[in-house]
Amino acid sequence: MRDVDIIGIGMFPFGVHKTTPLVEMGVRAAIDAIKDAGVKPSQVNIGFFANMQAANLTKEFTTGQTVMWGAGINKIPVFNIENACTSGASATTLAMMSIASGQYDIALVVGAEKLNVPFIPLLNPSLRDINVLEGNVVINGFAQRAVRHMHEYGTTKEQLAMVDVKNRKHALLNPMAKFFNKPVTIEEVLNAPMMADPLTKLMCCPNSDGAAALVLCAAEISRRFTSKPIHLKASVLVSGIFDEVPDMQTFEEDQRASRIAYETAGLGPEDVSAVECHDAFTICEIMHTENLGFCPIGEGGPFVESGATSLGGKIPVNVSGGLLGKGHPLGATAVSQIVEGVIQLRGEAGARQVEGAKVFLAECMGAELRGDAKTCTVNILTV
Amino acid sequence: MAADLKPMLDGIFEVGPPPRLLGAECPICKQKFFPKPIVCPHCLEDVKEIKLNTEGTVYSYSILRIPNKLYQFPQPYASGYVDLDNDNIRVYCLFDPEKAEEIRIGQRVTLRVGQIGIGLDGKECLRYYFTPVDGGEK
Ligand SMILES: [Zn+2]
Repeated sequence: MRDVDIIGIGMFPFGVHKTTPLVEMGVRAAIDAIKDAGVKPSQVNIGFFANMQAANLTKEFTTGQTVMWGAGINKIPVFNIENACTSGASATTLAMMSIASGQYDIALVVGAEKLNVPFIPLLNPSLRDINVLEGNVVINGFAQRAVRHMHEYGTTKEQLAMVDVKNRKHALLNPMAKFFNKPVTIEEVLNAPMMADPLTKLMCCPNSDGAAALVLCAAEISRRFTSKPIHLKASVLVSGIFDEVPDMQTFEEDQRASRIAYETAGLGPEDVSAVECHDAFTICEIMHTENLGFCPIGEGGPFVESGATSLGGKIPVNVSGGLLGKGHPLGATAVSQIVEGVIQLRGEAGARQVEGAKVFLAECMGAELRGDAKTCTVNILTV
Repeated sequence: MAADLKPMLDGIFEVGPPPRLLGAECPICKQKFFPKPIVCPHCLEDVKEIKLNTEGTVYSYSILRIPNKLYQFPQPYASGYVDLDNDNIRVYCLFDPEKAEEIRIGQRVTLRVGQIGIGLDGKECLRYYFTPVDGGEK
């Protein structure tokens, strides 16, 4: 198997883009990425397009080929990938495999999503799912996790609020985060309308639109295009167990995916300089910091409270603003996490630069079946 | 309870009285399931339908305060997981719409069936739910 580098990144800002079509956001991110990589459209050998809701919300399908051609790319194999919130990381895993196998040299990954349409329904994995028929919606699953986490470990609602305060503060330093333009206080988060106890509206990521793109390249030729290739050391995708409904205060999928990724990369959590994780709800980030190995299980609440996960702390988490600060354009989200990693490892993050960042980890998680995450991804990048 | 109302999905529960959840047991590995799978995912053999225990303990819950118009659920409503006595199965369920604010981890609950919301066909239908064993505070 060959080593794989990331040589180009692009983003269409995350925010509310009511008049910009899905395809245009994807095309603009794709063009930025191939220009950043210094490759011509004809040099891209294979393409992956990540999106979750286009067939549902804007009635589009096989959008990937339309996006690629918008960036001047045709004839090559193009795959359209849907894996809920991890669609973009799943597409990245496939791109890495296609290059590592020796079959292709340069791959383009684009994730794009348009959620701000006139009517945004609550997301459900299947109308016939017995849990959905009995009242489960995405936020319920995470509220139940929060209730259980508070019960087991004494996590407080103030700690749940601190995650949002931190990520909103980080987002203000990211020019690609356009959803919000001001910070929030713990009191504002706690006093926001209650969605599903204990989660208030500000403990839930908003629906934003946007796109992100990556150019992956065989490491043996990446220096033809850039003097600063970023190494993609591990790109892992796992599915849940689904057998018996698990205990809800831990993420078994995080533990399993990160163990594989750490082993593949030959690194451990102590080596990681910065993290982006799936903070769709504030409880998620607290649990991810535990289950990815950055603090002991049950101590994610005190960990955020200590400032360890803030910019300048021991292990900054969601310095880009995360999903809470940037919003969550589903198919684009996991690509944007890896884009942030490349920016950090290149040392180009400006006011939100993590000092001396050398190893970066991105985690994402999507959808639920019988209490388990359907998909979970961990990507590890190094300088 | 109106006699013409149907369960929100066939094969999930018996209306009763008494109401019973319909699970399954694999004749080979003896694992119990809810709902009934197409075959046992471990043995790939047909499973036998069984009636599950009607009492259990609340494992976790949430109270959804925003509208869920998908099936016209009450607002707010509580749902979550109950660990069924003896069966060693954790099932997702609605909680008694009249007692949404009373549900707690560790609470003893018992099975009921009643009209809640609408079904896949858009018509009012029956759903299973759990209610506190001691009748709750109300
Ligand atoms: Zn079996």
